[in-house]
Amino acid sequence: MKRALTLGALALAFFASQPAAQAAQGWGLPEEEEVRFDATVVDVLCELTGDCPDNCGNGTRQLGLLDGEGVLHFVHKNFTPFTGASWELQDFCGKMVTADGLFTTNKGYRIFVLQFVREGADGKWQRANRFTGQWAEKNGVAADSKEAKQWFRNDPEVQRLIDEDGVFGLGADADKAYFEANQ
Amino acid sequence: MRQVTRLLAAGLLLAGLSLPAAAATPERVQVTGEVIDTWCYITDIMFGEGSTHHQCALWCAVGGIPVGVLGDDGEVYMVLKVGDDTTNVANPAILEIQTHRVSVDGDLYERDGIKYLLIDQVVNDEGIVNVNHDDFGIQPFGE
Ligand SMILES: [Cu+2]
Repeated sequence: MKRALTLGALALAFFASQPAAQAAQGWGLPEEEEVRFDATVVDVLCELTGDCPDNCGNGTRQLGLLDGEGVLHFVHKNFTPFTGASWELQDFCGKMVTADGLFTTNKGYRIFVLQFVREGADGKWQRANRFTGQWAEKNGVAADSKEAKQWFRNDPEVQRLIDEDGVFGLGADADKAYFEANQ
Repeated sequence: MRQVTRLLAAGLLLAGLSLPAAAATPERVQVTGEVIDTWCYITDIMFGEGSTHHQCALWCAVGGIPVGVLGDDGEVYMVLKVGDDTTNVANPAILEIQTHRVSVDGDLYERDGIKYLLIDQVVNDEGIVNVNHDDFGIQPFGE
């Protein structure tokens, strides 16, 4: 991988045609770019304001990737459905990582999807899909269970909110009217 | 990619512009708009506004994706704080106002093309007024 990167354009062409095991996977997003870059993992709020709790807030803060040119990349997504990347990057707070994934640009905003990450240049590649395992552990089910794969339908907090306000957030009557009209 | 970034950085320097400082001064703002899941909205992977997307917006917020306010000006403001609470990953207080039309006072920081909003106070909460599920169903799976 390292050797190929030094070969410049030739290497890029090579990787475009033969995706490596840990290389970004296209999702067909708007103005998608498959990228790999080195950056430091930072707490975004801390980076902006100097309000910096220990260890990037231990999972309570959105994390960003500060690259060598001082550009702060906001990380929106990890590799699992309906989930962000903060908990994927938490272990690397303040550390240099190589991030692999996708930039997408739409409506004037360029945001990042983290698919793989490794610490430094020689760390072990890790797929950014730890959310499911973490959720499964918290909820007392197996990581490969149906419940964990459909975590968003089984999450107690989500279920509580839907029970309270309905699927549309408009109350039980709105749900009832919709389901009666669309069954 | 990195090469492109470098070239852009060099271009900015040549143009006499400086790169953003690490700690910038915020602007005091009031933003009125809809609380949204920023991922679905920005990428257009589905219809990401209003009651049709409320359930998905809850999933994404609980899943830790950044929540934002889609301002009446069409801009997306990433919410990093509400009141004294600086939890901005799956914050239960933000879940309670998901999809609501709100007016908020706060500090706006702009960094590298993203608008970050630190809300001091929700000054008005109209609840969910963007009722569009009769047109778009339940995003994204229809159930
Ligand atoms: Cu969605």
